[in-house]
Amino acid sequence: MTRPQIPIILVFICLLLPSAAEAQGGSGYAEAKGFAYAERSNSRDPWVLGWGTLFTKWEERVGAAQLTASVRGEGISSGEGGPLVFDPADRDIRSSPLSVQDLWLRYPLSPSVDLQLGRFQLGWGKTDGYSPADAFLPRDLSDPFADEKIPLWAIRLSGQDGAVRYEAVGCPVTTPWRLPVLGSRNAPLKVEGLPAGTVFTEIDSPPPVEGFAALRLLATLGEWDLGAWGRFGVRPAPLLDFRFDRATLTPSGPIVPIERRYAREEGAGVELSRIAGAWVLRGEAAALFSADRDLGDAVIGALSAERGFGDGTLLITLAGNALATPVDAQLLFDRGILPALITAWNRTEEWGEWKLVWTAGLRHGDGLLKGEAGYNLTDLWKLTVGGELPYGSEEGLFGALNAARRLHVALRRSW
Amino acid sequence: MLNNRSATLIAAAVLLPALCAGPAWGGADPRGLLKESENRHRTRTQQYAGQLTVVNQDGKVRKKGWKSFREGYAGDAKNLIRFTDPPEVKGVGFLSLARPGGQNPDQWLYLPSMKRERRIAAQDRDASFVGTDFNYEDMEEFDHEKYAVTLQGEETVEGHLSYVIVAVPLEKGGKSVYEKKTIYLRKDILYLLREDLYRKGDSEPSKRLILSDLQNIDGHWVAKSMEMSDLRKGSKTTVLLKEVAFDMPQAANRFTLQNLNREGGD
Repeated sequence: MTRPQIPIILVFICLLLPSAAEAQGGSGYAEAKGFAYAERSNSRDPWVLGWGTLFTKWEERVGAAQLTASVRGEGISSGEGGPLVFDPADRDIRSSPLSVQDLWLRYPLSPSVDLQLGRFQLGWGKTDGYSPADAFLPRDLSDPFADEKIPLWAIRLSGQDGAVRYEAVGCPVTTPWRLPVLGSRNAPLKVEGLPAGTVFTEIDSPPPVEGFAALRLLATLGEWDLGAWGRFGVRPAPLLDFRFDRATLTPSGPIVPIERRYAREEGAGVELSRIAGAWVLRGEAAALFSADRDLGDAVIGALSAERGFGDGTLLITLAGNALATPVDAQLLFDRGILPALITAWNRTEEWGEWKLVWTAGLRHGDGLLKGEAGYNLTDLWKLTVGGELPYGSEEGLFGALNAARRLHVALRRSW
Repeated sequence: MLNNRSATLIAAAVLLPALCAGPAWGGADPRGLLKESENRHRTRTQQYAGQLTVVNQDGKVRKKGWKSFREGYAGDAKNLIRFTDPPEVKGVGFLSLARPGGQNPDQWLYLPSMKRERRIAAQDRDASFVGTDFNYEDMEEFDHEKYAVTLQGEETVEGHLSYVIVAVPLEKGGKSVYEKKTIYLRKDILYLLREDLYRKGDSEPSKRLILSDLQNIDGHWVAKSMEMSDLRKGSKTTVLLKEVAFDMPQAANRFTLQNLNREGGD
C-alpha cells in the first residue's frame, strides 16, 4: 500500500463510523472527493484522482481567553502531496499530509480590544470574487480551482471604538503560496523558445524568514462602510526564476530548473461599501510598490455589486490592474487573472444549495465556468457534485488550464 | 310615574349609546394596546439557547441550534445570534442593531469560512435566515411604531381571547417584505400569540408565526416555543427556547461588529 492511500482509507473509515467522538467544543469533518478529468497534459497526469481529508477542530474557553486548535490530514491518490514532515508554517514546497490549521489564543485586553496570537486565517477586503486587500494572503493552489487560503503565524491586535474598528497584524514568518507541481496540468508552463517536452524541475528554495506587518481601519457610517489599510514586508506569492544557466539536455528534451524567490512589497488601499436600494455596492483600490524587477508596481481596483433574489444572490465583480506587469501576469499569481469579470450566482434550496461562477479573463478572452450543487443528505452528511470548465486562449491563466477540465463528486460527514 | 313617551325616551337614552358603541372591543385603541404590551413585556435584556427544528414540505427534518442575546426592546433592540449546530453553520453569527426614526435595522451576517462579516441589504430581508423559515425581517423585534395599526376584532387563539390588530408597514425608513401583519394579542396579558404575515400583493397570509408554551420566568412572560410556518412552501421551523434568562448583564461590546467577528465567541 502506498503512503498516499493510507489517509484516504482512514477517511473512508471515518465516514463509515456511526458517530464521531464529540469532545466539548469539538467539530470537524471527513471528506472523500473524486475527480474525473477530460484529458491529460502529460503521461504523469492521472485520469482519475482521489482526495481524502480529515479535519478536526477544538474550541475551548479558558476564562476570558478563547483557545482554538485544528489539524488537517490529507491524502491525494496521485502522490502529489509531500512527505510527512514537521512543517508548522507550511513553508515546504509540497504540503505535508498532516498540517496545523488553527492554533491560536485570543485574549481580551479590554472589553473592546483583543489580542490574538498563534496560527490563524485572515479574511481582509470588502469585495468578494477578487479583493486586493485579501489577494496577497497565502493560498494553496494545489487544487487550482479551490481558492483555499493558508493560515498564518501572526499576532493580531483588534478593537473597536465607537464606529471605528482597527486591526494590526504582525506576521513574523513568511508562509508562501503553495503551487501545484509545475509543468502538470494544474500549472502548465509555456516558455517561448523551449521545445515541447521540456521538463521543469522545482528547486525547493526556502522562503525568507521575515513576514509582513499590516494595519487596517474600518468605519461604519450609516449606509456606508469605509476602510483603509497598509502593509509592508515580504510578498508571499513567489516569483519564478527559470534557471536556464543550469538547464540540462536529455534525449527526451531539456530539463530546466525553476527557483522561487520572494520580493518585498509595500501596499496601501481603501475599501468602500454601501447599500444602495436593493444592491450592496463595494469597491476597493490598492497601490502596490516593489523595487523587484519582475514584480514592479501595481494599481489594482475592484468593484462589485451584489443583490439578493429571495434565497439566491447575484454577485458581479470587475477587477483590474491599471499598470502593465514586467513579466507575464500569470507568473505573478495574485495578479494572474486580471483584468477579469467575475459573475457568481448562488442559491439556497430546501435540499441544499448550488452555485454557478463564471470568471471571464478580459485580456485573453479565456475564462472559467464552475458549477456545484450540494445535497444535504442529513444534518451531518452532504453530497456535492460539480465541475470546472476552463476555456479559451491558452495565453490566459484559465485557458492554459484546459487539460484540467474535470467533474468532481464529494461526500462529507461532519461532526 | 313615567309616561309612555318618557319611558321610551329613557329607554332610547340608555340603549342608543350602547348600540352606537358597537362590540365591546370597539373602544380599545390598538396603538394603546401595543404600547401597553411593550411596557408590560419590555426587559433590559433577554438571552436563551434555541433548539430549532426545520421541517420541509416533504417532512424532512433538520435540526439547528443557536444562542440568542438581546439588549433593549422593540425599537431600540440589539440582537446577536450565534449558531451552535449543525457543524456546517456552527459559528455563523447575526447582528441586528435597531436604527432610530423607524428605519430598518442594520444587519450583518458573519461567516466563519470567509472570516468577515457581510452586510444584509434591504432586498435580502426576504431571504431565508440560514436555512430556516424565518427571513431577515422576521429576525427583527416587532416595533409597532413602524406600522399603522387598526383593531379588527377579537378572536380566540389557543383558548385565549385575543385582540386582532392589523399592522401595515409605514415604510418611512425602509421597505418591508410584508404588505401587512395580522397580530393576535392575548387579551389578559397583552402577549403576542400569533402573527399572520402577508407578502406584498397577497390576499392570503404566506407565513404564520405561532407562539406557545407561555411561561412566567422571573416575572416576565415568555413563549418557550415559536413556530414559523411558510404556508406556501408547506415547511415550518420551530424554535424551543431553553435557558431563558432576563435582565442578565450582557458582556460589554457584545452587540458590536468587533464581537460579531470574534471566531468562537458569543
